Formats: sequence, C-alpha cells, structure tokens
Amino acid sequence: MASASVIDVGRPAARRRSFLSGLRGSLQGSEYAWAIAFCIPYVGVFIAFVCFPVVYGLWLGHSPSLYIELLHDPIYQQTIVNTILYLAIGVNVKMFLALLLSGFFMRKGWWVKGLLMIYVLPWAVPALPTFISIHWMLNTEWGLVNNVIWDAFHVDGPGWLDTSRWLALGSVIVTYIWKNMPFWTVILLAGRMAIPQELYEAAEVDGATGIRRFIHVSFPLLANLYLVCTLLSTIFTLGDFNTAYFISGGGPALSTHVLATLGIRDAFEIARPQLGVAAVLSALPLMIPLVITLMHKLRTSDVQL
Amino acid sequence: MTIFTRRSVLRSSLAVAAAGTLARPFIANAAAKTATVWWTQGFVPEEDAAFKRIVDEYQKASGNTIDFSLIPFAPLMQKIVSAITSGDVPDLISHDINDQVVVPQNAWDDKIVDASDVIDTQKANYHPTVYLGTQYYNSVTKKRAGYLIPFKTAVLPFHVWTPLVEKAGFKLSDAPKTWDAFWDFFKPMQAKLRDTGMRNVYSMGLQCTTTGPADGNNMFHHFLIANGGNGIVTKDGKAHLDDPQIKEAVIKSLIYITKAYKDGYVPSGALSWNDADDNNAFHSKLFVMDLDGTISTEVAIKDKDERSQVATLGLGNKNDGTPMTAELGIGGAFIPKGAKAIDVAKEFMTYLIKPEVSNGFLKEGLGRWLPTMPSIVKSDPFWTSGDPQVKAYAAEGMLSDTVANYPVFNPGWAEVNAQQVWGAAEADVIRNGMTPEQATDAAFKKIEAILGKYPIAQT
Repeated sequence: MASASVIDVGRPAARRRSFLSGLRGSLQGSEYAWAIAFCIPYVGVFIAFVCFPVVYGLWLGHSPSLYIELLHDPIYQQTIVNTILYLAIGVNVKMFLALLLSGFFMRKGWWVKGLLMIYVLPWAVPALPTFISIHWMLNTEWGLVNNVIWDAFHVDGPGWLDTSRWLALGSVIVTYIWKNMPFWTVILLAGRMAIPQELYEAAEVDGATGIRRFIHVSFPLLANLYLVCTLLSTIFTLGDFNTAYFISGGGPALSTHVLATLGIRDAFEIARPQLGVAAVLSALPLMIPLVITLMHKLRTSDVQL
Repeated sequence: MTIFTRRSVLRSSLAVAAAGTLARPFIANAAAKTATVWWTQGFVPEEDAAFKRIVDEYQKASGNTIDFSLIPFAPLMQKIVSAITSGDVPDLISHDINDQVVVPQNAWDDKIVDASDVIDTQKANYHPTVYLGTQYYNSVTKKRAGYLIPFKTAVLPFHVWTPLVEKAGFKLSDAPKTWDAFWDFFKPMQAKLRDTGMRNVYSMGLQCTTTGPADGNNMFHHFLIANGGNGIVTKDGKAHLDDPQIKEAVIKSLIYITKAYKDGYVPSGALSWNDADDNNAFHSKLFVMDLDGTISTEVAIKDKDERSQVATLGLGNKNDGTPMTAELGIGGAFIPKGAKAIDVAKEFMTYLIKPEVSNGFLKEGLGRWLPTMPSIVKSDPFWTSGDPQVKAYAAEGMLSDTVANYPVFNPGWAEVNAQQVWGAAEADVIRNGMTPEQATDAAFKKIEAILGKYPIAQT
C-alpha cells in the first residue's frame, strides 16, 4: 500500500491520464492495441539484436580485475598510444585534406567531375581486397614498393611492416586516410554546395576573395558540419578493425594494435573473450563524451547548414 | 468462412508461440540421434573428402546422423570460443590445435565432458605420449582425466629445398647431425645464392613471431629441447624456471634465434608471420629451409616433380649429441559440457579412433597427419616404405622419442603459448635492445604470473 500511495502522491491521477493519452495520441479504441501489436516485433528485434548484445558485452567485461590486468599489460599500454595517434592523426589529417579537396572539387569543368569520379574509387571499392593488396605491396622482399625502389635506385627498401613500429603504424594511418578521405570530401563538398552563392558575391563586393573568402565565408558556414563530421569519423574510427588488422596485423611484434584489433586478439587468439571485451569497452570513456558532444551539436537550434 | 478479428489473430499467435515453446523438448528428443559436429577444414581437399567418407560410413553403420560443419582454422577457433562462452555448444568439436589452446583451459574450468571411456578403448594401442597428451587437469574435480579424444598426431620435421642447396654448391648429405650445427650448415648458402642473382633469398625460415598461433612456440620449444631445457615444465604441472640448466637453455635458444635474425639469415617479416605465412614463404622459395609442423608444406605442392625437390628430414641430435626429442602435437576432438547428443558424439569418436578406421582416414588425407598408434605405422608400408617425405615424418613422430605439448602438463602453458611469450622475448632482443638474459628474465616473470593462476594439486 505504501508504494501505491507514494505513486499516487508523486503522480496525480490527472497527470497519469495525460501521460497515457499522450502515448495514445489520436488512436482510438482497438487502434491502440493494433499499434502495440505491430510494434512488438520491432521492439523484440531491438531487444534481441541491440539491447542484448550491449548488455551481454557489458556483463562479459564487468570485472574490475580485467581492467587492472589490461593496465599492467605493456601491449595494452602501447595499444592505447597507437589508438590515440591513429585517431588524432588519421581523423584530423583526413578531415583537413578532405576540407581542402572539397574546395578544389567545387571548381567547374568536366575534367574536375571526371577526377572526382576517380578520386572516390578508393572509398567505393571493397575494403578488404584493397587492404590486402596494400599489405602485399608493402612486403619487404617481393612487394611492389620495394621492387620499384630497387629498380630505381638499386637499394633495398625498408621493412615497411616488419621491423619499425612507426613505419608500420604510419602505413596503417596513410592507408586509412587514403581509403576514407573521398567519402568525407564528398560530404564536405555537399556542404559547400549548400552555401548560397549570394554570400560569396556579397563577400566579393566587400573585397573578400581567395583565402579570405574561405576564412570569412566558407569555413564559418562549414564549421559546424566539419565538427560533426570529425566527431562522427572519430567514433567510426575508434571501432575500425579492418585497416590495422589487414595492413600491419598488429605487427611487428604486436606494436601496432589498436583497441579494436587487440580486443579480437585477446578474445579469440588468447581465448579470453572477457579480456577482449574489456579491451574494447575501455574505449567507452572516450566514446561516451564523443557521442554526447555529437548529440549536443546535432540539436536543431545549432544547425547552420 | 473464417473471420479474422484482432482478438482471434492475437489469440492464435499466442497459441502458436506457446505450442512452439512446449513442443521444443519433444523436437529435441526426436533429434537425439543427431550429433552436431564442428570439424577443421583440411589443408588439402583430400582431408575433407576423407572425413565425409568416414561420416557416411558411420551413419550407415549406426543409423545416427552426423550434422557436421567443416570450418577453416581461424574462424573455427572464434566459433569455439564464442560457443563455450555463451554455452550454446555443438556436440563434438575438433580443431587442429585443441591440444594447445582450447582443451587445457576448458578442462581446467570443468567445461568439457570426461571422455576417458572413449579414449580407453584404444589405450593399449596409443603411443604413450599420445595417451599422456589426453590427460588434462580439472580444477573442480582436482584430478586429471581424458578430455581430448586423439585421432591424429603431428611433429615438426625440417623442410629443405634441395635444388637451392645444390645451386649454392652444397650437398644435403654433408649436413651435420647436431642441432645448431645443422642450422649453421645453411647459413653460407644465402650469400652463394645471392651471388647467382637470387636477390631475395634467405637461409632459414625461423618463425620468431609474436603472431602465432602455433609455429613460433613450437619452433622455440624445439630449440629449448635441443639445448637441454625440456624440463621447463614437468608432468606434475610444475614449472622449473629457477633451474639454472633451464635458464641457460632458454638463453642459448634466444641467442641462436635472434642472432640468426639480426645477421639477416631470416626474412624480416618473420617477426609477424602467422602459421600460414612461413608455408607461403617456403613455397615462394624465400628461404632454403625451415622447421614446421606436419608435412602440409609438401602435400600442398601439387606438381609431383616440384614436390620431390623438397627434402623432409627428422631432427637429428641435440646440441649435447644425444638424439633429439620431438614435441608431439595431438589432434583430437572434445565434447563440450552442454552438448545434447553426448552418446552419439562418443560413439562416433569410438568408431573414428579404431586403428583401421583412423589409418584409412589419415592415409586418404595424404598423410599430412600421423596416426596415434606406433603399431599402425609399423604395420602399414604407406608410412614406412612409400613416399620418402611421409616416411621421414612418420619415423620422427611415431618411431622416435617424443614429448607431449606442455599445456597438457599445466593449462597455464596454453596461455603462455597464446600470449606468444617466447616470440615477445625474441622481439625484445631483436627490436627493443634487451640482452637475451634480460629477455629471459622478462619472459620468466610473465610465465610465473600466468602459471600462478593455475595451482595444480599434487596427489
């Protein structure tokens, strides 16, 4: 009885009725029951394939001892540094170059459109064959790159993926930029195309041309889009498994793992799925603020373009 | 005419759902004669064909059904780990490295059905090392039992491209018998071959890798044995890291392997090789010789003339001159707890491990895997007087001295292997500037920490 009275005090009957009628909307009688019946499969699918995996993952990685173990693991420590470098360099260089190139692709001319078509190919083609091809191209002994170096200079090229952590990580980051930059260029190009031409004409009258036009007109109007794209891209990249796995494989000597690849290694190669899930979940302190910031930026009141 | 109303539709849906739920046990009971089996896809198609034939024969003889999936090596490992973690398991699982990765940990955790009754049907025939390799420790029952049902074995022979040896001006018959000297024999060939215009050729394919899963550990353990360090972990599950002889053996092994790499006798990519990479590198004649498990390298070469150019050699002697001991890998299947058709799974494996059945199965798979019983090898000319590669391989595995893989002694060693502790020690010397002594200390510290989680009761 006590609980009922608390509810009654906390939520007056009139308010409860208004909440229920809000749920019902304009549905009348049996329509409401039908609406619920039709929603049930979707809610079921959502629970089964979204809620359950997330909750199961959190349950698998819930033990604090897993995180203590990870923090004491030198490979994990190296992986954290790699992940930060991968995000900081990969995402920012990619987005900045995409911003510049989107300006180039705004130019008129059939050859620019043709070039754009070729430029988007790396993004359009399937990821794994291209990553495997690049992995082979960087092979020290018989890869295309070192063979070209040999043919041109008669010196052996470096072990791109074999000996140096920085060369291998650099190869991963460059491949990531090459693969993903076209997509974001097109997004920013669409953003630029949405800027009214009149603004540029007015700026030109005021003497803003060239770089000044970019600084005072284009960039302020693109800033919000650029930030949203950067946040989205950071979230995508944090979960990117393919690039590091298929380019460097985490090598040499486990020195270029990122959190996504280390999670798979711990889960399936070391056969400790709880540890693997914990490695991936350790990205949450970065992921959650990113998502909150993204949601904040996506409020309709903030939209510029 | 039936009129559908909202109530009737909802009522019927509920009725169907309830009937489905209630009927499930009966459906499961009706399928009790079917066993779901996950099996590693063969390295060559003949292995898969052999398995399908065995399944057909068993099904005809028993009336049971084997609902099998042939799954490649790496994805199967992921499925196994996921299945055991979630509890939704098949009735029987075979993976090529069950003995080193899956069974030790899960036997310890009491997640595998005791299959001693199956294994004991062939106890008298099994090679002693094979039988020993089935007995894993269970931390719940506090005793060892037969959890891995063995039907095949493998060792690491040397694989040598004889045309490269001859092109370099050497004769394989001149190769010394002792361990380090045997490896050293191939070093001068690299320069000779490069002088002939072969720019990218190396002497040896040492798998000093941190990727694994198996080759790097297997290779290091053979160096360890050759240097007198076989007792690093003993049958009672105890590690002997404080034994000076063991430590010296580890240091000597690290010195040889890392020096060979740093001197340029090993392809630089070896630091990240997976278990297939060294095979691919061998096939592309990137190096003259390597030490690698099974004769998959040989059987994958379809051209008979080219295959005959590969010499398969046993292990010779340790560095002290005594005969070398091979590490015997045991291929087997296990029944996870939660399996529904345990009886069928056990019956199928009892059938498969019969000497005549398993021998036919392995021969049809081109002899990539060895039998589990010396009597089979001794009695069937296929293993002793046919293909010279098979002959050398079988003699090393079944007719010479062998040791079981260390994870059977202590399941912690499975994690030591999975963490690639030896590969990491090699990388510490090669890349991180550590001395072999420092890398050994670091490796021992890791091993102690891992094995500390697996206290084995001594009875």
